[in-house]
Amino acid sequence: MSRVEAKKPSLCTCELLTKEIISKSLSVLREIVTSCYGPSGRLKQLHNGVGGSICTTSSSSFLFSNLSVTHPILKILTTSVQNHVSRFSDCGLFTAILCFNLVENFQRLNLSTATVIKISKHLLSLCTDYLNSESCGCRISIDFSNMKTLLCLVQSILTSKPACLLNKKEADHISTLILKAFLLTIPEKAKDHAILGKSIIIPLKDERVMNSTVLPGIVIEMPEVQLMRKFPIKKLPSDVLKVALFCISMSGDISDPGDGTLVISYGVSLESAVLDQLLNLGNQLISDHVDIVVCQKVIHPALKQYLHQHHIITIDRVGISLMEPLCEMTGAQTIGSLSLISPTSYGYVKDLCSTNFGSKHYFHLIPNDSTVCSLLLCNRNETAWNELKLACQTAQHILQLTIRQPLALLGGGCTETHLASFIRHTGINVPECILKVNDCTQTEYKIVTNAFCNALQSVACSLEHDKGKILTDRKYGHFWSIQPDFPSNVKWQDLVSKCGCGLYGNQEELNWCLLQDIHSFAPLNSSVQQATNSTGHLTLDCFTAKLHGLQVAVETASLILDLSYIIEDKN
Amino acid sequence: MIVTCVSKNRNVTGDGAKTFIILLCDLLRGLKAITDKERSSFGGSIQSQERHWKNCCQWKYISQAILTFQAHILDYIMAQYLSKHFLSIFSFSGEEKKFCRSSLELLLDAYFCGRVGRNNQKFISQLTCDYFYKCLSHEDGKNEMIDLVDEYFLELCTAVTGLPVSSSRIISGFVIHRDFSVYCPADGDMRIIIVTEAIQPALSTSGSELVVKSETQFQASHIWVTERTKTIMNDLQSKGIKLLLSSVKQQDAVIYYAKLNGISVVECIPSEEISLLCRIIALSPFLPSWATSQCHISDAALVKFCQPILLNSKRYVHLDLLSTHSFIPHCLVLCGPVQGLTDQHIHAFHGAFKVLRQVFKVLYLSYKVQGNIQNETSNSVTPKDNKQSHHLAEVYRALFERQCLGSVLKSEGNPSGMQSHLRVTPDLVLSSIESENSIPSTTHTHKIKGNFESLMCTYPNKIGISNAKESIVAIRCDCDGDSLIKIPDEHVSVVEQTCKISSCTIIGMTSKEVFQNASKSYCTSFIQAGSVLPVGGHFEILLHYYLLDYSRHCQQPEVSMISSLIANALLSVPKTLYKAKKGNKSFCHVYLRTLHALQAKQWMAVSQTGLESVACKYQLLTSVLHCLTKLLTIDLVIRINKQPQKTGDDEAEEDV
Repeated sequence: MSRVEAKKPSLCTCELLTKEIISKSLSVLREIVTSCYGPSGRLKQLHNGVGGSICTTSSSSFLFSNLSVTHPILKILTTSVQNHVSRFSDCGLFTAILCFNLVENFQRLNLSTATVIKISKHLLSLCTDYLNSESCGCRISIDFSNMKTLLCLVQSILTSKPACLLNKKEADHISTLILKAFLLTIPEKAKDHAILGKSIIIPLKDERVMNSTVLPGIVIEMPEVQLMRKFPIKKLPSDVLKVALFCISMSGDISDPGDGTLVISYGVSLESAVLDQLLNLGNQLISDHVDIVVCQKVIHPALKQYLHQHHIITIDRVGISLMEPLCEMTGAQTIGSLSLISPTSYGYVKDLCSTNFGSKHYFHLIPNDSTVCSLLLCNRNETAWNELKLACQTAQHILQLTIRQPLALLGGGCTETHLASFIRHTGINVPECILKVNDCTQTEYKIVTNAFCNALQSVACSLEHDKGKILTDRKYGHFWSIQPDFPSNVKWQDLVSKCGCGLYGNQEELNWCLLQDIHSFAPLNSSVQQATNSTGHLTLDCFTAKLHGLQVAVETASLILDLSYIIEDKN
Repeated sequence: MIVTCVSKNRNVTGDGAKTFIILLCDLLRGLKAITDKERSSFGGSIQSQERHWKNCCQWKYISQAILTFQAHILDYIMAQYLSKHFLSIFSFSGEEKKFCRSSLELLLDAYFCGRVGRNNQKFISQLTCDYFYKCLSHEDGKNEMIDLVDEYFLELCTAVTGLPVSSSRIISGFVIHRDFSVYCPADGDMRIIIVTEAIQPALSTSGSELVVKSETQFQASHIWVTERTKTIMNDLQSKGIKLLLSSVKQQDAVIYYAKLNGISVVECIPSEEISLLCRIIALSPFLPSWATSQCHISDAALVKFCQPILLNSKRYVHLDLLSTHSFIPHCLVLCGPVQGLTDQHIHAFHGAFKVLRQVFKVLYLSYKVQGNIQNETSNSVTPKDNKQSHHLAEVYRALFERQCLGSVLKSEGNPSGMQSHLRVTPDLVLSSIESENSIPSTTHTHKIKGNFESLMCTYPNKIGISNAKESIVAIRCDCDGDSLIKIPDEHVSVVEQTCKISSCTIIGMTSKEVFQNASKSYCTSFIQAGSVLPVGGHFEILLHYYLLDYSRHCQQPEVSMISSLIANALLSVPKTLYKAKKGNKSFCHVYLRTLHALQAKQWMAVSQTGLESVACKYQLLTSVLHCLTKLLTIDLVIRINKQPQKTGDDEAEEDV
């Protein structure tokens, strides 16, 4: 009998946020997250005490997946950010910092949580309505005929990940590659709903970043044994190679006999029967003039040998992840049967060649016309490569999101400050009906609005890690940062050069002031689109990801504030 | 034990777990106060052991009293007094009953108030309402629809994490939580089949042996297997099947040939989803037969489209089904930043449908006719009790007069009938109460027939009963019903149905038995489907008021004790509700206001902030009482180390 242990009683905690231990751990985690934010963010080294791999990162997904957070409240926050990142790839840190700030600001307010939650929900709807409206002053629409803005978007993502350890030239190179790979996945003949192709990231560690490249088609690593052999390829007159794709094992193992028993007479060898079958299959492939046989699993050495003798190239152990792009590229259908192959299931590639990258050898399947490409990504070491790969995946995802909704938000903290000044401005006179719906007074509304805007602004402030001062202008409500040790007798105009997103310079008289003592004003938002065309480099954020991040942050903060008890089952 | 009781109740009504606990606590506290008081009156003379036994006996006694209370008095009060305060979720427009959306929204609002965060409450209740209306094909099918949704709720909704709650939406059709194994895009309507076993025949089935004598035989059998698969798939294609839904994993060859034939395949579908699918589209699984060359497809359903849908960064299959049911398939996609929140919303949603099911259910109340009087006169009808029965008769007469007045008003030229009616009535009632053993004379029956005719004028076409005997029963019950339940004349239809129910139960008895039964019979009444009361403890305050009233008039000490105990315990719910409120909204204010209004007989539903179902409340109260009696009958808890041996039934219940 199993030992029955007495159940421990559940643990119940109340008055959560005022507890010192919780507020302390909240602020510690906020410090960690805040210090990672932005291009000049500090890197974090994650390793456990007993050794193992070390991860140097500043990205939220690595950070939160490796941090072991134990307290339920912190867990809510981190999982909510992780879920957001898994959906949108980007703006994880933004969401986390905003959420932390909101929780801390609201908790200090001394108002009933019900009121705070209702008002913050209303403020959130104001934000989303404004960001979605045509008149929004911190949003630009992206023109896909002009690569400049797209490139800016990709560059912004790469530069916000300092752990990739890229210099300016390398970052430009990689951004161009990412954009090129993305463009290769867009089908030429667009129908009603075009399906984007795939770009496969091939790891090439310990290489110079500048060696990274993009190739059309698929690159598959070649096993060492095959290096010895030359593979003479006889070309079809139509100048294409016939490909057969197998998704079942061709290793000669005996397939599942069913539920019953198999009685085998003496002297009968099932293995040889199966091998005979395989060789028959080989004969069929030869007679069908197949040039390349690709198998997801293992091919029997005897069959391999047999096929080689007939000048057929075999590539096995491809793995399931490559099968789908292979099908798409060659137009073949994966074959799931060892007998009776339909001639319609073969596919074609234009050419096959072998290439070398670094010390490794690769098969390169070159397609006729396809949306599949391979991005060979190099970086100096393991962790930097991981970070770079993450950045690339993020960028690819962001580009996909952007093609669905061709909008971008101004980056570099400008969206946050602009949005905050907009919310502040609308908060000056609130209609009675809104107060009534939210069941609050004018002062309560103002207090919550102020806390909300401060939270937004301090997200922008977390971009600055070098003790610099942060200014804002009273015309557009953008974000400007200046050196910490500025002489007191100089005008603001001489200190600032460009705003956070790079849209405005110091030529205009913009009436700067310190961000802390900003009062409400109506931010101007008319000339964004024209201004974008005139300026050179812009910092941009993905619209969809940031908008959702904002929503998730406010919702999570409400959820955390709404908690009054935690009941833990300690069994 | 309490926890299981609570969760059982919640499983039925989807609501009221917290109220359950509050009520139970207060009841127990009240009980303790009573027993303590009695004990102190005994003084400290009794030994503790003895006292323990005494307590146990007392508790047992009380628990029995509670049971009888529940059986008779509660239902009686519910039907007699409370029912006139009920509002209905339906709006009566002419003949048709229609439920109005606004009251449904109010009901759901109130339900979700404590279930989901304040910021999402409005949105979620709107979503539920939309979902309800979208799934509903016609109003009569609502019960069926709600049952189906309740049963398969987890299959009908998909939780998506990482998105704001406001992205939650309703999508038409059905989402299978699996990806395509093969996806062949096709336009227009397509035929689908469901399989629950492997299409490819296995080399050997369980219980049989495959004897392999040579290599070639083995190869041949392999080839045969593949050939069979190929022909089956070709056959399916020739019959226009475009989609194959399988609950098991199919072999590679099946997938391959499906792809060649342009058939989309979805594998490993959970069995619950398969059974839901089968129910919605009334389709039975297809069984491939390997023996014949042609396979017979008994059932194939049509779907409008079938396409991949991306939810939760997974690809699922989205089908637009043509339903044969009253349920129009729609799926819910519930979003939230973290999984805990979406889980909470799913549970709240599920509970909402349970509440709706309760709301739309007719709740039958059955209580002993004259429950109170018979307790008092139960032993025997002695001459001393004559006075009482006379009094009773008087009550009856007064009521009958009223009734007849109504009938006369409607059937104008029938004074003689009215006279006989008036004359007969007291005799009839007296005879039914007093002369239990005497067979009523034929004249009586005769007169009753006349009585019936006069009543027929009152309710023309409504009492569609031809048999004279049955009609007597019907009228008897009608009288009983009318006089005791005091259902106002507006509720004629209710009475009418009551009659029918009663008459059905007593059909076929002799007249003697009928008369005996009629005086003792269990009268059934019911709370109409869709009865609701405003939230904010109104149910509790009302019930409290009437129970106190009842206990004041009740002669039996223990009954009055129990009812006042329950009445006071009921108040704890509104007390807790209004704890945080101050000033005009504090508990005392609300309570006093309601009481005054009740005394002045002009109680009205004041606040229109939300509604709650009477049926749920009633269920809750009865299950609390049930739990209480269970608790009280236990006198000792013995700890054992082993799990008690369970019978199979119990385990099955736990599994559910």
